[in-house]
Amino acid sequence: MSIGVIEEVFSIDLPVGEQFRIQRCRYTPERGEILKRISIVSGIHGDELEGQYVCFLLGEWLRANPEKIKGIIDIYPAINSLGIDSITRSVPFYDVDLNRIFPGSKNDFLPAQIADGVVSAMMGSEIAIDIHSSNVFLREIPQVRIAKSQAETLVPLANKLNIDFVWVHDAVTVLESTFAHAMNTLGTKTLVVEMGVGMRLGKAYGHQLLDGILNLMACEGFLDIEPLDVRMPIQSHVGEVAYLNASFPGLFVPAIEHCQMIEKGSIVGQIVDPLSGVTLDEVIAPIGGILFTLRAYPIVYEGSLVGRIFGENV
Amino acid sequence: MKRIEILNFKSPNRAPLKVEGFLFGEDSKGPSIAIVGAMSGDHINQLYVASRLVEYLRHKEEEGKICGKILVIPAVNTYALNMGQTFWPLDKTDINMMFPGYTQGETTQRIAAKLFESLQGYNYGIILEGRRDQGMCLPYVKIIKSDYEDLDVARDLGMRFIHYRPYSPIETVMLQYNWQLWGTKALSVVFGKNGSINHSDSSEVQGSLVRLMAKRGILDLPVFEGFVSNIIHPENITLLKASHAGIFDSVFTCGSSIEKGDTLGSITDALSGEQLEKIIAPVGGVLTCQYSHPLIFQNSIAFRIASVEQ
Ligand SMILES: [Zn+2]
Repeated sequence: MSIGVIEEVFSIDLPVGEQFRIQRCRYTPERGEILKRISIVSGIHGDELEGQYVCFLLGEWLRANPEKIKGIIDIYPAINSLGIDSITRSVPFYDVDLNRIFPGSKNDFLPAQIADGVVSAMMGSEIAIDIHSSNVFLREIPQVRIAKSQAETLVPLANKLNIDFVWVHDAVTVLESTFAHAMNTLGTKTLVVEMGVGMRLGKAYGHQLLDGILNLMACEGFLDIEPLDVRMPIQSHVGEVAYLNASFPGLFVPAIEHCQMIEKGSIVGQIVDPLSGVTLDEVIAPIGGILFTLRAYPIVYEGSLVGRIFGENV
Repeated sequence: MKRIEILNFKSPNRAPLKVEGFLFGEDSKGPSIAIVGAMSGDHINQLYVASRLVEYLRHKEEEGKICGKILVIPAVNTYALNMGQTFWPLDKTDINMMFPGYTQGETTQRIAAKLFESLQGYNYGIILEGRRDQGMCLPYVKIIKSDYEDLDVARDLGMRFIHYRPYSPIETVMLQYNWQLWGTKALSVVFGKNGSINHSDSSEVQGSLVRLMAKRGILDLPVFEGFVSNIIHPENITLLKASHAGIFDSVFTCGSSIEKGDTLGSITDALSGEQLEKIIAPVGGVLTCQYSHPLIFQNSIAFRIASVEQ
């Protein structure tokens, strides 16, 4: 019975009696020729944990349904393993964001070597799904973010993931250093999922994305199951995204729940001053639409993002 | 000298972030230069050089030696400096990854935008930079190929080495690249070891800055010639990596001339004390950089050697 084989794909000695390691669990078909491979990835940022739960749910499903597996399914729950076990977003010691150092290099410092190890391990996968959970400051609805240049290939795939929103953005040079860009360049169709909030776990989102991944794998020939009935995500090109940045420093107190429809001119929240007891500002929705991003960490400076609204063009 | 406020940024609870600049001379009298110090909280040496330069220029101004305009901003990220952190203390973003900035954007984008605005219109721009890794190095000029770079300005600093190379994607959001694009002849001087002060490096850098200002007619002073700078391309550098992790010992200082076959350092097992390797120079040249933390990681770059030809 195929129950997944745990493999170490990257290991490097740390200075004092320990190795930095990246592990994966590989599921292979019980019989038949293996033609294709998919990689499910989480934990490039050490403070994002929603993907860990999705990895668990997927592994649990595959263990229960080994006869349905038609391709190689690799699950990498913890890329920045040092960071995940220590609430550290970046690569500890170096303080470098791993997702700004791809494709990495064997000849460079530890973070670049980790990136290189990740790319080497996943190279040749037909599809990769890189699961992020925003950061500790913002809560996001399940969404996939795609660079404009990749939209043609990736949007149809993203639509299978049972997410709420597909956000196609302009290419930014700095994002050429991400895992997704590196893998897409190497021919692996890579989707970046953002959902939930850093350092926390949302069970409902985990199950929602599990259904999406199962559906995608059914449609793409990795699983011998019927496609699931999934939701069609809102497409960013049919509307506009409004950014709500704090105008004052203080404590942000939301007035509405995340993921609500909101009318233009209504109150998203207040920024208050705990010292004087004064309300400094009201954050007003500049457009109507869905509040798909909402601040989760209350302390704000001027400029701190408190929310994002997607409004459809009328 | 005028002490000016570059930006004043309120915090929810702590005292406001104040970024100050020191302005000498005026535009109409000659060319202008802006010098930016610590953008990160661990760039203490950069802070030190910039503040010493302010003191030096104050005296030169009294002596009537300033014939252009000079702006020195010793510290940008004072919040991080005051709490032993590297980046913006709340969201851990790097101000030097936020250029050209955005006045309607996130906090550090706004800080970068304000700073960038105050840096516009200068003929020359110098960024005092620390390292972005756990190394220390001989002071050098870093200039990227943006198509707007000016190597002659770099040469006038008279430093021993100019590292001249294509830019990486992340450098498009850094100050040097953006400053160049907006018409200032900008370059970076990289030196020191983050979190500490090296006095001989500091006076070397200060001397180079004064030389540049004298050569470009901003300071009316006789100065000694510096080095005829060596332009170092990436292919002139040999990287020596640690094959093992452990405790790292170096026997050379940066700037030493080394011969092929010299033992540069060693690595011992951090628990058993057993010697794991000796690091031997495969080529001769000048030791420009070395790892500076006592604990080293496997495959970390222990030394960089610049050679004339390879
Ligand atoms: Zn992330």
